Amino acid sequence: MTSTWTIAALTIKEAVRRRLLLAFLAITVVIVGLSAWGFDRLSHNNSITSGESHLAVPDALILFMFMFSFVLALSASAIASPAISSEIESGVLMTIVTRPLRRAEVLLGKWCGLAALLAGYAAVVCALEFGVVDWASGFVPPNPVLVAVYLFAEGALLLTLAILLSTRLPVIAAGVVGVAVFGAGWLAGVVGSLGNNLNISALRTIGDVGRFLLPTDGLWHGAIYYLQPPSLIAQQLANRPKGNPFFAQGAPSWGYLLWVGCWLAIVLVAALASFERREL
Amino acid sequence: MSPANSADRAAIDHGDAVPPGGVGRSAPQPSGTEDERSPHPGTSPAIHAVGLTKRFGETVAVNALSLTVNRAEVFGFLGPNGAGKTTVVKLLLGLARPSGGEALVLGAPLGDRETRRRIGYLPELFRFQALLTAREVLRLHCKLLALPRSIWAAQERSSLQTIGLFERGDDRVGTFSKGMQQRLGLGVALLGDPALVVLDEPTSALDPVGRHDVREIIRGLRDRGSTVFLNTHLLEEAEHVCDRVAVVDKGRTIATGTLDELRGRHGSVRLRVTGLTDGWWHGLDRFGRPRRDGDWIVLEGVDRSRIPDLVGETVALGGRVEAVIPEQQSLEARFLELLGER
Repeated sequence: MTSTWTIAALTIKEAVRRRLLLAFLAITVVIVGLSAWGFDRLSHNNSITSGESHLAVPDALILFMFMFSFVLALSASAIASPAISSEIESGVLMTIVTRPLRRAEVLLGKWCGLAALLAGYAAVVCALEFGVVDWASGFVPPNPVLVAVYLFAEGALLLTLAILLSTRLPVIAAGVVGVAVFGAGWLAGVVGSLGNNLNISALRTIGDVGRFLLPTDGLWHGAIYYLQPPSLIAQQLANRPKGNPFFAQGAPSWGYLLWVGCWLAIVLVAALASFERREL
Repeated sequence: MSPANSADRAAIDHGDAVPPGGVGRSAPQPSGTEDERSPHPGTSPAIHAVGLTKRFGETVAVNALSLTVNRAEVFGFLGPNGAGKTTVVKLLLGLARPSGGEALVLGAPLGDRETRRRIGYLPELFRFQALLTAREVLRLHCKLLALPRSIWAAQERSSLQTIGLFERGDDRVGTFSKGMQQRLGLGVALLGDPALVVLDEPTSALDPVGRHDVREIIRGLRDRGSTVFLNTHLLEEAEHVCDRVAVVDKGRTIATGTLDELRGRHGSVRLRVTGLTDGWWHGLDRFGRPRRDGDWIVLEGVDRSRIPDLVGETVALGGRVEAVIPEQQSLEARFLELLGER
């Protein structure tokens, strides 16, 4: 297990020195700064009522968090797709895997290091964004910690999938497939929402299958649910939303969360087995 | 060029490994106790492979290769490009799985995790974490080797001094030249005083000074009791440092032995002699095939152990021997001859 932490620490150190964190933090601060101005304008606009403002701010926050969720997913795929494949191609892994450690320790170490980076990014993004929204409008999501957890979990799923792909595919292929799968998962979620509201079972099935095969959209809806104040949920239900992909009627069930855990474990074990069997 | 002796040729024809002490003996099978398997009771060979085979689809990269490498020797693994040398190294280090055959490395099965603690490896494709300093790379490997923390600093210092990078220890690897990175790779391979050091083309990026340094490092490793498995296509490299070599082609060992054994015991001898009467060759032709070459007499196919007898017979025939030059076949010539025989 010591080797796992050694590889995890190495992964984080390399990411820091590559100025990856710095770049992400810089762009995040710029976006959060712009959103601060926007939320301030939204909350202190004389053309809308305070009631409308109380509904508009959470709506806008959900859109902002969707953007951050997208950045997090892209980042997860971008940082994980080269994790194994590029180090095999460059030869860096050769001297590592011939040391007295299991290949599983190398892969788990990389997973832990990258997951820690994602967790840190999710925490910082949520803290900054919720902080400025609170400052500008006084609105605080019902459960900001769970929002961060769901965003991180969404990224962790893609991270794990990208690492699995990285054990067999070249860097670019693994990255592109990871992002494409994320996009397809989100689209399946939108189609499922439409199917629910239009009562079309075929569309509903697409959504259900999509959330089962790649649970990122299901987790995103978990984050949405904990971003919505009860007043927004009531208003949305009253208006019978027509396939609004930025609305969640309820939190993910425990059964679904259990499946998410299983999904992650299955993909991680598949990655471990794939790397273990790969000839270098 | 003299032909190989019959025993040597027998080993070549059958692709057998040649254990120390005898050319052409069949390789012992890896069964029974470790000592029973060992050519040196009390210690297992550093590497012992029997029938090692690796196929990639229809392509046979390593074809029933047998090999024994003793402890504390520098063993050259020679062969042309595409002969399967690097594949053999990968099999021995557990980076790839054999399709057939078996092998023991330091007495343990291929890929044994604990045994890897005693193996240093410089890959042909050497790359290290560009954003770490040389010292950090060495420290990383000290951690992965699970060396006691108390000796990390000494190991780093010793390694950096040995490879001549002490002054650059705090510089990032990304700023290093290819040759410096290869030196660093060698330093990484030396950590933890390994019993077996596998060097895959260790001088490919080095200048003449670097090559000389690497030879000195290899000799130093042998002197302290480590085995060095030197995978190279540079015959000059092997001639400088190797105790024994194996020539591999198309995935098979085609010859194994000391450099002298590989070149063969027979060579030509040039004699500068005056005072011999006509018909002198009748006395000398039992040593080899004599012919005149200006002032010299050249005898081809002479057993080197019989050169003193040859000189004695020349004197007995009334000749005054002014010079005797045994001429041995170069390793390169022998290497090309072996490959041509396949």
